Amino acid sequence: MSTPPLVEAVDLEKHFPLTRSATDVFKGKARRVIHAVDGVTVSVMPGETVGLIGESGSGKTTLGWVIARLHEPTGGTLRFDGADVLGLRGTALRKWRKNVQVVFQDPVGSLDPRLKVWQIVGEPLRAQGELTKPQVRERVHELLPTVGLPPDCLDQYPHEFSGGGRQRLSLARALSVDPRLVVLDEPTSALDVAVQAQILNRLVELQRQRGFAYLLITHNVAAVRYVADRVAVMYLGRIVEVGSVRGVLEKPIHPYTKALLAAVPVADASRRRTRFRIGGDVPSLVDPPPGCRFAARCPFVIDRCKVEYPALREIAAAPGQLVACHRAEEVIDIAPATLLTTEGAAPAAAPA
Amino acid sequence: MTDAVVSIEGLSIDYVVGAGRFRAVSDVTLEVPRGHVVGIVGETGCGKSTLAQAIPRLLPEPPATIGGGRIVFEGIDLVKVPLWKMPQIRGTGINMIFQEPLNSLNPAFRIYDQVAEAVHIRHVREGGRGNVVRSESGPFDYSRRADPKASDAWAGKVVPGGGAQDAVRRKEVERHSGFTHEDLRKEVLDYLRLVRINDPETILDLYPHELSGGMRQRIMIAMALSEKPSLLIADEPTSALDVTIQAQVLTLMKELIEEVNTSILFISHDLGVIAETADELGVMYAGKLVEFGPVAEVFASPRHPYTKVLLRAAPTRYKSDGPLLSIPGNVPNLNRPPPGCRFHPRCPIARPVCKVEPGPPLLGVAGASATHTSACHFAAEVPQIP
Repeated sequence: MSTPPLVEAVDLEKHFPLTRSATDVFKGKARRVIHAVDGVTVSVMPGETVGLIGESGSGKTTLGWVIARLHEPTGGTLRFDGADVLGLRGTALRKWRKNVQVVFQDPVGSLDPRLKVWQIVGEPLRAQGELTKPQVRERVHELLPTVGLPPDCLDQYPHEFSGGGRQRLSLARALSVDPRLVVLDEPTSALDVAVQAQILNRLVELQRQRGFAYLLITHNVAAVRYVADRVAVMYLGRIVEVGSVRGVLEKPIHPYTKALLAAVPVADASRRRTRFRIGGDVPSLVDPPPGCRFAARCPFVIDRCKVEYPALREIAAAPGQLVACHRAEEVIDIAPATLLTTEGAAPAAAPA
Repeated sequence: MTDAVVSIEGLSIDYVVGAGRFRAVSDVTLEVPRGHVVGIVGETGCGKSTLAQAIPRLLPEPPATIGGGRIVFEGIDLVKVPLWKMPQIRGTGINMIFQEPLNSLNPAFRIYDQVAEAVHIRHVREGGRGNVVRSESGPFDYSRRADPKASDAWAGKVVPGGGAQDAVRRKEVERHSGFTHEDLRKEVLDYLRLVRINDPETILDLYPHELSGGMRQRIMIAMALSEKPSLLIADEPTSALDVTIQAQVLTLMKELIEEVNTSILFISHDLGVIAETADELGVMYAGKLVEFGPVAEVFASPRHPYTKVLLRAAPTRYKSDGPLLSIPGNVPNLNRPPPGCRFHPRCPIARPVCKVEPGPPLLGVAGASATHTSACHFAAEVPQIP
């Protein structure tokens, strides 16, 4: 690879300890830990969009926060542009923050209702401390049209905007300091289809003009398909599959990716007769089971899956796509649609 | 006229806010045929949830007021029923499943007590001991209801569990229904098994916060079905759930629709969810029903320009395929709806007449099946929109 990656996380780990009760401390019970992110290796190239998909509780938001250094990781290394990030403190850290900005999930909760638009959008600029107030106002005035907002709304309050408008404000705030990586945490999940399409188009267009990288965190497969170049699929704190967007979405290898894609409802009335075959709930992140984390729900499970965690590896049939499954070679040709049954038809048999 | 569980005729609902008044639902006419699933889709603020809550009269009145029209449910015009009598219709008559399963279960009571309350209400009403609203044709005819097959083998293990509050509540239930705690428990277990809950004996004694979102939504479905309602209104029942859990709950609902043969009004903003569950589909825009028809036909050949562009806006392409098609402009402000047809400022085939003349009532469309209707002056041209 010629260009070095912009962000390189190796074995990144974030564990949240649970509070022990007084009785537990007295009895000498071990502290229980939530394994939110458990050894994730991921990289983002300059100007690239990496989509991170997974369900709630898979650790994708935590991973995004750790990469933006809003959470301190409990293990692993994180490099930005070749330099270590985890050692940064104080002023150096604050200066570094303009490289990575986050668009938060909740467009209502992430905007202070008592601040005006120019104060909200200009806050990162003021935190960097390089501009005076009139300069900040001027910068925000220039910035608003780029996200599709009228430039004369500087003195309005966030409640005067619709859901889509608030998400644009959030985006403008992130872009104000010219970041090199924008972490988008569920940028469209609170929005309707039509507005979602507008925001996604804007995101792609801005990236073309300005060349920054995105880490797109979402459970929405359609948004990832449109915005991402590469996709990483997370399940219970680990990455189970990584590859190009076309590779992963058109020929998923990991059984969980297949299940996820099969579960997405499609606007096609002939799906009325189909039934989803994956049962069970997402297991707890507190003391997760040993072995593959999807083993309890996986239709292709074998004994080995329950004891040994499969490492991410490349298989011969799909170069460039990494997958963490012991049976990757055997299940690669099973289409996601076989995880659905049609009324009356016999369920597709798992390979022996 | 077909046999409809509920028929809504020209219903309008206004919200009075301060000095202003705006019409959230205007002149909606809709019928839910017995045993059918009718889906309603639309964007945020189009009035679909207002419509759903107006049917069992759950809207807070004020600020909401019913501005006109009728809601005829089993021969009774619900608009004329005084609000204090509505609880006699809710539950066994019209039941509802809400979007947020944690907020719709009471956090202070165990699962058993909440499901048992629903079962008990039905027993009381079926036994003729509760108050029942009568229509001109006589009291509610319970025999017309389809019967859920909640009859698998059960193991009647009695777990005393529960605090003093639970005990008092259970005594009360026993006194009213004439059923013992053991009988109710067996029936509750049957319903939990019906919604495919593993190990229902353990689940019964848990509190809602101890269950996952998918489990809670299944408990809500069990509670709704245990009252054997004539009409079930599901307002975004899977929107708060993860995709794989949503797929499980949808699969369950599809199976129950066939097993229980109930009538459902299914509200969602997700076209995919509606496509998978509904028989008929209604599309709402800015408080109006703009298209109604058999679900396969509406998806295959929509006859209102809004439906057409809404279907197109669902992102299905890659970045390299070019930009996504979005709908230009914004959803109109219902305080000042645009004159003429409400969709004309965003419509690809709008003509001068659309700016002055309001959209026509739902009309049959040439070349479509008899039940397919559209509120567009130029419905025949919609298939030509690229």
